[in-house]
Amino acid sequence: MFEKEFEQIFDIAKKRNLSKIDVFLTKNNSFSVKIFKQEVESFKYADSIGLGVRVIVDNSVGYAYTEKLDKAAFETILDKARENANYIESDEEVELKNYPNIDKKLKIYYPELEKVAVNEKIEKSKLLEKSARDYDKKIINVPYAEIGNARVDTKIANTTGLQKEYVSNLIYGYVMCLARQKEETKSGFFYDISHNFEQINGKTIGEESAKRALALLGARDVKSGKYPIIFNNEMAATLLSTFSGIFSAKAVQEGRSLLKEKLNSKIANDIVSITDDALLDIGFNTRPFDDEGYPSQTTGLISNGILQSYLHNSITAKKDKIKSTGNASRSYKGTMNISPSNLFIPNGKTPADDLYKLVPRCIEIVDLSGMHSGCNPISGDFSMGAQGFFCENGERKYPIHNFTVSGNFLQLLQNIVAIGNNLKFNLSSIGAPSILVENLSISG
Amino acid sequence: MLKESLLEKVLTKALSNGADFAEVFVEDTYNSSIQLLDKQIKRAIEGKDYGAGIRVFYGAKAIYAFTNDLSEKSLMAAADAVSKADIGNANITSIDLMRKEFVSPHKIAIPFEIIAKKEKIDFMRRIDKAAREYSNLISQVSISYTETEQKIQIANSDGLLTNDARTYARVYVSSIASKGNEMQTGGEGPGAQRGYEFFQKLNPEELGRKTAKQAVTMILAEYAPSGKFPVVIGNGFGGVIFHEASGHSLETTSVAKGASVFADKMGKQIANQCVTAIDDGTIPNAWGSTTIDDEGNLTQKTVLIKNGILKSFMIDRLGGIKVGMKSTGSGRRQSYKFAPTSRMRNTYIAAGNDEFDDMVASIDFGIYAKKMGGGSVQPGTGDFNFAVAEGYLIENGKITKPVRGATLVGNGAKILHKISMVGKDLKFAEGMCGSVSGNVPVRVGQPTIKVDEIVVGGRK
Repeated sequence: MFEKEFEQIFDIAKKRNLSKIDVFLTKNNSFSVKIFKQEVESFKYADSIGLGVRVIVDNSVGYAYTEKLDKAAFETILDKARENANYIESDEEVELKNYPNIDKKLKIYYPELEKVAVNEKIEKSKLLEKSARDYDKKIINVPYAEIGNARVDTKIANTTGLQKEYVSNLIYGYVMCLARQKEETKSGFFYDISHNFEQINGKTIGEESAKRALALLGARDVKSGKYPIIFNNEMAATLLSTFSGIFSAKAVQEGRSLLKEKLNSKIANDIVSITDDALLDIGFNTRPFDDEGYPSQTTGLISNGILQSYLHNSITAKKDKIKSTGNASRSYKGTMNISPSNLFIPNGKTPADDLYKLVPRCIEIVDLSGMHSGCNPISGDFSMGAQGFFCENGERKYPIHNFTVSGNFLQLLQNIVAIGNNLKFNLSSIGAPSILVENLSISG
Repeated sequence: MLKESLLEKVLTKALSNGADFAEVFVEDTYNSSIQLLDKQIKRAIEGKDYGAGIRVFYGAKAIYAFTNDLSEKSLMAAADAVSKADIGNANITSIDLMRKEFVSPHKIAIPFEIIAKKEKIDFMRRIDKAAREYSNLISQVSISYTETEQKIQIANSDGLLTNDARTYARVYVSSIASKGNEMQTGGEGPGAQRGYEFFQKLNPEELGRKTAKQAVTMILAEYAPSGKFPVVIGNGFGGVIFHEASGHSLETTSVAKGASVFADKMGKQIANQCVTAIDDGTIPNAWGSTTIDDEGNLTQKTVLIKNGILKSFMIDRLGGIKVGMKSTGSGRRQSYKFAPTSRMRNTYIAAGNDEFDDMVASIDFGIYAKKMGGGSVQPGTGDFNFAVAEGYLIENGKITKPVRGATLVGNGAKILHKISMVGKDLKFAEGMCGSVSGNVPVRVGQPTIKVDEIVVGGRK
């Protein structure tokens, strides 16, 4: 795709004596439909392309991008990127290479998904909404019910001859509903993601969101103190997601990570492992190569509590004199960074429903808010608004609300005492099973 | 920008299945940013955002498509796709666009491009140096400098054809203080709708020291206590409390669906009578101001709450259709990639009559949240949370010592009644607000206020 445009850019670069450049392009096509009161509330069609260049002059990297793909725009971005390179003082050594390909054949593009008719998506969205609304009289509103699908094409090329592209697609559905009882309103949210339209079960998603809202009605306040806490799988993934930046070798090298100088040391309880796997069969960030074109791999970050590796791109890897882990990440608008692919805590040994039975009483957290404000990714401290259940004698006793849970992420990793077997991935492909954590502060 | 004749053709096509309304939004935006970290310029990037969004309404049903291929062929294909999403009864067969000019009150003195990059970098270095010199506990300083020039064109089936240009300048400074294994941050991010004159008027040393002081104060602080306390919330960025706890629930985006706690409260007492709150897009050169909104309506100063009584929502065109009210010029979007929805501009609690000292003196045990961090709200329930970036303990009517790690949680509808004192010292702060139509620049603001009781989540 875009062969002509790429050729044009490399030609212009050659005429300007720019011998080290790379070009990164993404093309997004997506569709979504929202339903409200059984009517289509909105449709959205998206078709967008963006192209970013890196120009390396005397070891300094300058960036520029454009969403307009014509010769004049290409000339401008190459000139701007070259100019920007002049000001860079970073000691990062950027190397462009023609990286090899992976052996494995990945299934990340499902052509059948592109053939699903708009009407089928509308019908399924209506079912999402209806199943939530009809589930119980207490469900007074279903503000959001949406089905959407997205296809992303990615292409990378550089002056060493590397030229690679891939395409992936997925479909998702979600419902947010409100349940009311007297003056109390609670919300319930449920989602599913798949490569297969048939696997998005409209009825289940709708009903689950309703069940979640209803379960929280009649919530009581909770007494402040230290409690054992169960984070359900989604909230455990939310926590991991919020603090995933600490694994970035770039953050470590720049002195912004908690994990600085912690390599090969024990940072979590023995039962805790964390893996980044760009080759995962069912992953929504599965890909053949990263945003430098480096081949994908599986990287153990924490194994039996010991920090094994950071996430690297080729620049941070070179600095640490090791190999990249294939986690180079950028958008055409941004600069080269590092991010996880499919990052997860693998399933543990305890059936999720048995976690309650391991302690006489505990608090189960099913909703967290304030991740971007109440968490300090640099110190690891967090203090977030939460909702959940007070549990005793192995079961949920009553819902609780209006409280915060606080602690420190590294201490939390040390204090994970049991891990469930219900691994679930979120929309950014970060996943976890439910976990039981000792002694966190609850403030109500 | 697109030619009038092409716009007319695209709009006519979009209406061809009987839609009630059609609109084209074209954007050409220049972005540039520079980042300084580790005392070095680490990143510099610039680029162009370029594309168009086409929207049609069938009744209150909205169809949106966007593309960055602005050829006639591509635009007509997008118009065809949106038109075919439904069948309507309206019969608009031709569009006659009339150009309408709006005079921007947000004057730009010095265009960014006439200032050399070196001067911009020197400005950043002065901030860095001042922050590091403030204390040897400062281990890292990160500064990002951004300039944006957004040019837009709007045409719709009412015959409107207009243009606007918005120029944004902002610098964000984050200082990190370290002690042992612990780190704390202090941040400031002033911004305005101005050219380079904005940076020339800032005092870089003061900015650096301010962030460093906050980080150092917090690294030396104890953890905040937990429980229900009275809280004094500082002026300026403290306005994030109103933005999150009430502002989002006053946007028709949530009101129209009954997904707001204030949906049926128009004309009713929703706050203590000492509270008057305003959303004002007209403040010259302010970060959250607009000349016209992203639907081509003249911006307004909208009184949301007067003496505790709900007076108005923030209304965009589609929201207006749904709630049966006129637009307040509040339709905003991050870019052509988003359909506009009702959004805040410069939102604040108006100055009151109370003295800061009296607020503190009235509290036996509580928190002074001098500087707030970010927060979020669930508009359906009104539940909110936000972080205290710089907090102090109040004991026996006096501010005693700094405390860190506090989060305030509560419910928007309830907390408005618990604001019992409003100070005279109204101040603003700049931020980016994220919602369904993307991230838009907004200002929050308030004088110092006292909230009688709020849940404070600390570590003790």
